[in-house]
Amino acid sequence: MAKLVGVYASSHAPLIVRGWKDVSPRNQQDLTRAMTELGRRIKAARPDVLIEISPDHWVNFFINNLPSICVGMGEEHEGPAEPWMKECPYKKIAGHPRLAHHIVQTALEHDFEPSMSHHLTLDHGFCIPLWRGGLDPLPPIVPIIFNDIEPPFPTVRRCLRWGAMLAEAIRSYPEDIRVAILATGGLSHSIGEPTMGEIDEPFDRECIRHFEKGDDSLVDFLNERLPTIGNGAAEIRNWIAAHGAAGKRGFELIGYCNCPEVYVGCGFASWNLGAAA
Amino acid sequence: MRDYWLSKLFFDLQSSPPLGEEYRADRKKILDRYHLGPEVRAAVERDDVAFLAARVNPYLLRFYFVVAGMPEAEFLRKVRTAGAAAAARSSHG
Repeated sequence: MAKLVGVYASSHAPLIVRGWKDVSPRNQQDLTRAMTELGRRIKAARPDVLIEISPDHWVNFFINNLPSICVGMGEEHEGPAEPWMKECPYKKIAGHPRLAHHIVQTALEHDFEPSMSHHLTLDHGFCIPLWRGGLDPLPPIVPIIFNDIEPPFPTVRRCLRWGAMLAEAIRSYPEDIRVAILATGGLSHSIGEPTMGEIDEPFDRECIRHFEKGDDSLVDFLNERLPTIGNGAAEIRNWIAAHGAAGKRGFELIGYCNCPEVYVGCGFASWNLGAAA
Repeated sequence: MRDYWLSKLFFDLQSSPPLGEEYRADRKKILDRYHLGPEVRAAVERDDVAFLAARVNPYLLRFYFVVAGMPEAEFLRKVRTAGAAAAARSSHG
């Protein structure tokens, strides 16, 4: 049987790549330290497959066909298409169709109906945390796209349940492989809105405290506060799915950087799954 | 509210760097290919961030003005002014 060996979360601000030279030395240092440590932890978990949960920033989908959740089933995915990601080493990224198929099958048996894609392009949201975490070569990736970009969004509670279902899919997968989960996006930021550039550090810190507490107050907190924070914070849904997969326990902050140069309250975390992992 | 063809224009421009180059060289030629309403087209031609912001996803809006070549500081100023104007309108009913 497959084993869940690690659960992680990371911000993915484009300006970490596109505007790195404009980031202050202090913030460069904090971000580098956090992203390197995140990468180190993922590598130490030795995953045979990495499930990644990230939004699609208008690369694969448009408003003529916009899935709430889509699982990447392909043998291979395309690397990032953004011109400013051309230095990214991932041009073609191996997938894991058998695990992806099992995840979709398990989802359907649990009354979820995800979309499927046999050929996805993995944009900066998927690739920046892996690249900056020093994961090269990459393990095969099963990408799962959550719509955090164009409202209405999946509910926070539904995302939590998706995560729990994902853990069940891993537990019931018949091959003896090690599987990790990385959720990307968040924390507070605002893109293309009147509040663009505003970071709500008190919100971010409170959000982190709720993750650490590990009870359902996190759902109520996000239901109340997400509509009042910039649109980028919608990506915290991906962290919620990771939290659900980890059984809502063991959240550990690796680093937080209120980084106005990249417009994002950047957070990096892992979940301690206990000695059994 | 989403204007489909305006959204499609912005989506296509950010999806295709060559189209972006063509657009910066001859905006009118590209705009002719999209079924934009006259008010919408006029707003695109005058870079009316506030008008466009009410009709497209904010990420597409942001990508569009990067592709169109608007300096970041100018975009930030205009999008923030758009928000202030919308707030003023809503406070006056």
